[in-house]
Amino acid sequence: MANRPSLASPTRPPLWRNATFLKWAAQIGVLFGVLALGSVLVGEAMANMRAQGLALDWDLLTDPPGIQLGEGIFIKPSTGLEAFYTGAVNMLRVALSGIVAATVVGVIVGIARLSSNWLASRLASVFVESFRNIPVLVQVVFWFFFASTFFPVLEEDSSGPIPGVLLVSRKGVSFAWPFPQETFWQWGAFLVAGLLTARWAYRTRMRRAEELGEDTRPGTWALLAFLAWAVVGWFAHPLAGAIGWLFMLLAASVGAIPVLAYQVILALISLYLGWRWINRFLDSRRSPAGLAKLTDDDYFRMILAGALGAGGAAVLMLLPAATEVGTNVVQYLLEFCDQKFEFLRSGAPLAIGTPSVDVPGRFPQIASTGLTMTPSFFGIWMGVTLYTASFIAEIVRGGILSVPKGQSEAGYALGLRRGQLLRMVILPQAFRVILPPLGNQYLNLSKNTSLGIAVAFPEMVQVGQTMFNQTGDTIQVILIWMAFYLSISLLISVLINYYNRRTQLVER
Amino acid sequence: MDNGAANPIIVCENVKKWFGDFQALRGVTTSVAEGEVVVVIGPSGSGKSTFIRCINRLEQHQEGRIVVAGIELTSDVRNIERIRSEVGMVFQQFNLFPHLTVMQNITLAQVWVRKRSRSDAEERAMALLERVGIPEQAAKYPGQLSGGQQQRVAIARSLAMDPQIMLFDEPTSALDPEMIKEVLEVMQELAGTGMTIVAVTHEMGFAREVANRIVLFDEGQIVEEGPPSEFFANPRHPRTKMFLSQILSH
Repeated sequence: MANRPSLASPTRPPLWRNATFLKWAAQIGVLFGVLALGSVLVGEAMANMRAQGLALDWDLLTDPPGIQLGEGIFIKPSTGLEAFYTGAVNMLRVALSGIVAATVVGVIVGIARLSSNWLASRLASVFVESFRNIPVLVQVVFWFFFASTFFPVLEEDSSGPIPGVLLVSRKGVSFAWPFPQETFWQWGAFLVAGLLTARWAYRTRMRRAEELGEDTRPGTWALLAFLAWAVVGWFAHPLAGAIGWLFMLLAASVGAIPVLAYQVILALISLYLGWRWINRFLDSRRSPAGLAKLTDDDYFRMILAGALGAGGAAVLMLLPAATEVGTNVVQYLLEFCDQKFEFLRSGAPLAIGTPSVDVPGRFPQIASTGLTMTPSFFGIWMGVTLYTASFIAEIVRGGILSVPKGQSEAGYALGLRRGQLLRMVILPQAFRVILPPLGNQYLNLSKNTSLGIAVAFPEMVQVGQTMFNQTGDTIQVILIWMAFYLSISLLISVLINYYNRRTQLVER
Repeated sequence: MDNGAANPIIVCENVKKWFGDFQALRGVTTSVAEGEVVVVIGPSGSGKSTFIRCINRLEQHQEGRIVVAGIELTSDVRNIERIRSEVGMVFQQFNLFPHLTVMQNITLAQVWVRKRSRSDAEERAMALLERVGIPEQAAKYPGQLSGGQQQRVAIARSLAMDPQIMLFDEPTSALDPEMIKEVLEVMQELAGTGMTIVAVTHEMGFAREVANRIVLFDEGQIVEEGPPSEFFANPRHPRTKMFLSQILSH
């Protein structure tokens, strides 16, 4: 009895030992520390640049760069912005097609490596071990030289291994491709309508299947609905040109409303988002038993959310220019869409271009009629795709092995076939293990496209380097690079995280 | 009922199986009659699990014959698929599909193997969930259920395929004592409906009350088999006496 500590009136600890106070002080301290460090660094850099006579201006974006690019939208860009735009689009071409190809190859090789077919699993092992153990730069250079040395020389009468479909030569690989024409968007409106109808048809047939208890073929119905719109649209698309008027009207009304109105609306939205975040946060801490005890971290996060909302509103109100840029962009996009539609404009929405040879001067060139991979594109694309595919194969293999053996036994015991088992039991479970490292591989592939500089492929880094060789604006170019790669990487991360959250298992 | 000579639905003749150098089954010969409840017991490593896993080809026997529901188990893929659709199996670790809800777990194979419509499959699933006593859990995921509830879902999942035979591979060994009871009750009810059951289990109470025949495995062979009254009261083989004294002494 005498030894029991007294429960009454606990003594208040002094401030420097108070855990609550220390936590808050640390949070605020870190926040100000980061802000201070950032401003010191930026300030120092600016001062040093001024001292060296370097000005951080952005003239390079508007001046004629006087450079020529190997391939892309603007081969002779008239402004720096056009040059960077060309580089960015080239980079995205490699990155997106590379991500798709690496995923397909990687999944096939990964599954093959686990196959009970001895030859398939051996070949898959050789693939993985070869491509992941050679530096990606070497592979990129190898494929570039492979294409420009071992492919046949382009002659005036070359027509490639499959005439009219595929033309392989040292000047590049060209294949037949349906190119969108100026009426493509009008047809596209029908395709969008087709997709929506297909979705509706699928759902209705599914509901009907549940009512009737028979197979109502929802997939077939959805496909037919889509094809019907596509076929009708192919001929009726000139009528859809009328949508252009809608865009015109919208563009005009966006410009007609004063900027102040947008500012007020956006500021209110910013305040609302902060308020909603706090509300939802409180909801998530609320159970039928009442509100859970909030920790100091919780308070800090709520205050930060509120401050961000209020700060956003303040910035929007104080800087009309920011809103103006936004409305200008929206207006530009609407006007851009308007140009894509014209009432009664006719013509086939797609035209198939076939590979052919052109002789502009003394030497034959691949004509721009087909879709062409230059040796540079081939080099960087093959290099990053196969390199990444070998890693993806290992990730897929690991993911499949992570599913317990009991799962396949249970599936087999129920009479599922191997393919059904893989598709409906193993892969969905492997997927959630595969997804996070797969996202890393996508990020790696995107960033590895910068090795295009080694084979003179005009992607972001090659363009940027050419630019600062001309202008000397190194810092600006590096800032553009960082902003570009950071936004692409963040975009991929956000997408992967979104799917990751959706595929999480539900546990108790 | 002795040796199931009446109307055999499972016939095993001199079944042998090796894992590398280790011989897991050393010539097992037995048969199971339609509607019979056989409980397989034996020390761990005696080959009892391997034996029932051979019946639906989760393990492949290397010598001897196994005939299930009139179909011989050979490497013919079609035979394997037909037998698997006639034989349901319940595992020690439940092996529910964790990414699917309870309802989806039970309807998956009905739709894809039995080719039932989704609504028929769901109706059947609901009826089975009622039967195993957990209709209210249909929309939950396996991870949200207790072990006993998961095992009952696994039984419902197997029954949904309308099997002629149910195999149980230590269905209660991974469960807490109070959950063992709820699973055994479902198995007992199932035996009452005339289902052919082959169960590997250590639940002697279940064996005594429900089984028609008890089979003791040791070192890959059947040591002794017989109706529970005889088996427990006057075991003939010394190995049986020793095994019974070990498991019944506590």
